[in-house]
Amino acid sequence: MTDTTDTAPGAESGAADLRRVPGPTPAALPAPGRQASLWGDAVRELVRSPLFVAAAVVALVVIVMAIVPSLFTSADPRSCSLSNSLERPSADAWFGYDLQGCDYYARTIYGARASIAIGFLASATAAVIGIVLGSLAGYYGGWLDALLARLADVVFAIPIILGGIVILAALGSRGVWQVALVLFVLAWPTSMRLMRSQVLSIKQQDYVQAARALGAGDVRIIVRHILPNGIAPVIVYATIFVGVVIGAEATLSFLGVGLQLPAISWGLMLSVAQNRILQAPHLLLFPGLFLSLTVLAFLVMGDQLRDALDPKLR
Amino acid sequence: MTTTERSPLQWPRAGADRLLEVENLWVEFRTRRGTVHAVNGISYHLDERETLAVLGESGSGKSVSAQAVMGIIDSPPGFVTGGSIRFRGEDLLAMRPDERRRVRGDRISMIFQDALSALNPVLSVGWQLDEMMRVHRGASRRDARRRTLELMDRVRIPKARERVDGFPHEFSGGMRQRIMIAMALALDPDIVIADEPTTALDVTVQAQIMQLLKELQDDNGMGLILITHDLGVVADVADRIVVMYAGSIVEEAPAHDLYGRPAHPYTRGLMDSIPRLDRGDARLEPIPGSPPNLARIPPGCAFHPRCSFARDRCREDPPPLYPVDRRRASACHYWQEVVGAR
Repeated sequence: MTDTTDTAPGAESGAADLRRVPGPTPAALPAPGRQASLWGDAVRELVRSPLFVAAAVVALVVIVMAIVPSLFTSADPRSCSLSNSLERPSADAWFGYDLQGCDYYARTIYGARASIAIGFLASATAAVIGIVLGSLAGYYGGWLDALLARLADVVFAIPIILGGIVILAALGSRGVWQVALVLFVLAWPTSMRLMRSQVLSIKQQDYVQAARALGAGDVRIIVRHILPNGIAPVIVYATIFVGVVIGAEATLSFLGVGLQLPAISWGLMLSVAQNRILQAPHLLLFPGLFLSLTVLAFLVMGDQLRDALDPKLR
Repeated sequence: MTTTERSPLQWPRAGADRLLEVENLWVEFRTRRGTVHAVNGISYHLDERETLAVLGESGSGKSVSAQAVMGIIDSPPGFVTGGSIRFRGEDLLAMRPDERRRVRGDRISMIFQDALSALNPVLSVGWQLDEMMRVHRGASRRDARRRTLELMDRVRIPKARERVDGFPHEFSGGMRQRIMIAMALALDPDIVIADEPTTALDVTVQAQIMQLLKELQDDNGMGLILITHDLGVVADVADRIVVMYAGSIVEEAPAHDLYGRPAHPYTRGLMDSIPRLDRGDARLEPIPGSPPNLARIPPGCAFHPRCSFARDRCREDPPPLYPVDRRRASACHYWQEVVGAR
């Protein structure tokens, strides 16, 4: 039934009114304007958090590294000289040389591109597809919901690394696109489920009912009323998932089913380094360090973002 | 008979000034635990410039019947299983969904109980008001904003220009309800349905909001359907009242008559259970028992288990709406006794 709160008027509703007004009174607000929104508050909170700023700086550096690696090194990662094979780090070559005698610093820098590209491609497409399918399933329900939910269940049951190994091993050529595609295919159900549950709860809100009563159509209700209110958890998840995908790509490449030589990637570098771990530990150290820092940066950012977007944690 | 009515209504007569006519409307909700009969064959009408109050407790079907008129019942589980809802002679239930959507907000609009939850928390109030003009009228941003400020002035929000970009949570309860009213009135609708518009507000603010609604109605000449459980709210503003119980209309009467001499035991019970200072005895007489579960409405007259007038006939024979006089009707076999008793 929809007659929900037929409370007696009077003192009780007065108290309820006080409870419903969070934060400063209108008079105490600095200026009328858009700053008071959920996202505005979140951004202000994030900028003040040293942990988020540190993580964002790391992520930004890695992203710039991926886009214009020549900013960080003038060396060509593919011009190698066997005479330098396995040389230890020195003032000339900060990270030393690998087995083929390539400059390891340059290779580590250039390795960021594959990780970032796959991380963003897979997690952005998973988020977008998840948001679209989740909204449709949650809003319309019925057979569409049942179909999408079962499909998601099936995919969700496949462990991401195991599924990645099986599918990638069957593919002939494995570049950035193929790896990103496979990781996306295995990952979209999570964001779809998140979005679906958000839509289900927001659909019940009075303002959605009100929007409908005032003549808004389905598309407008989804885009204007449901999405802005329900998208936050999916964005948080997508941020964290960038880190997870980067880790998964490295794992797959390490296991030999991800990117293939001559591609440059941290996972591949680790894979090559594992055979000579005692002889040349620097080959393991540097790509491992970059990989961990990048993954950590995205996980921390997602975590901080979640805290900032959840008013209950303030 | 009372002859001092405020509106020139005649009952039951369908004239050119008939705005809305609900006829034999049935709504049910099919849930896993059985079918809930929320609205069971109700009929009422609304004329131009008239205020009709729909009075009833929680779960009497008053809100559901309004949602059926708006066409915003979630289906499933809700289904309109019968009847017609004619707006200016056109059956809303027979319209295509897109035609019906154009009626919503534009010709018939709605004010909700709790404006804080009925306004989108992430959009500024100005944006939400602009949206009305932009969606339905295709107005430009600038024109929409001009109209928004005009509306905010009209519902007496002070410093509209400064507050137009504020978010719902920055407004007080009364101000939010004014915003909600402004949204409902944005397109000059013919009918406004107000679903418990003052329930979530302080008593002093309640009076202001009712006053505002009344004034706006006089200015715009719209028909107003006021859904409430609060007899005090409707006393001053309603022309006519229908009382609902367990999904059916049990009494319909001009406001004055209903207050003076209720013709249904349930209405009487409602009257006796509100505190009144003008009567010597301060004792309240609550209606015994509780409203029926709409999945299991008692046979015969739904009110009989709680009724002091009930006899054997009431347990088996569901009463029709008996005409009490030209403008009144009561669904009680023994309405004469009820009117006579005091």
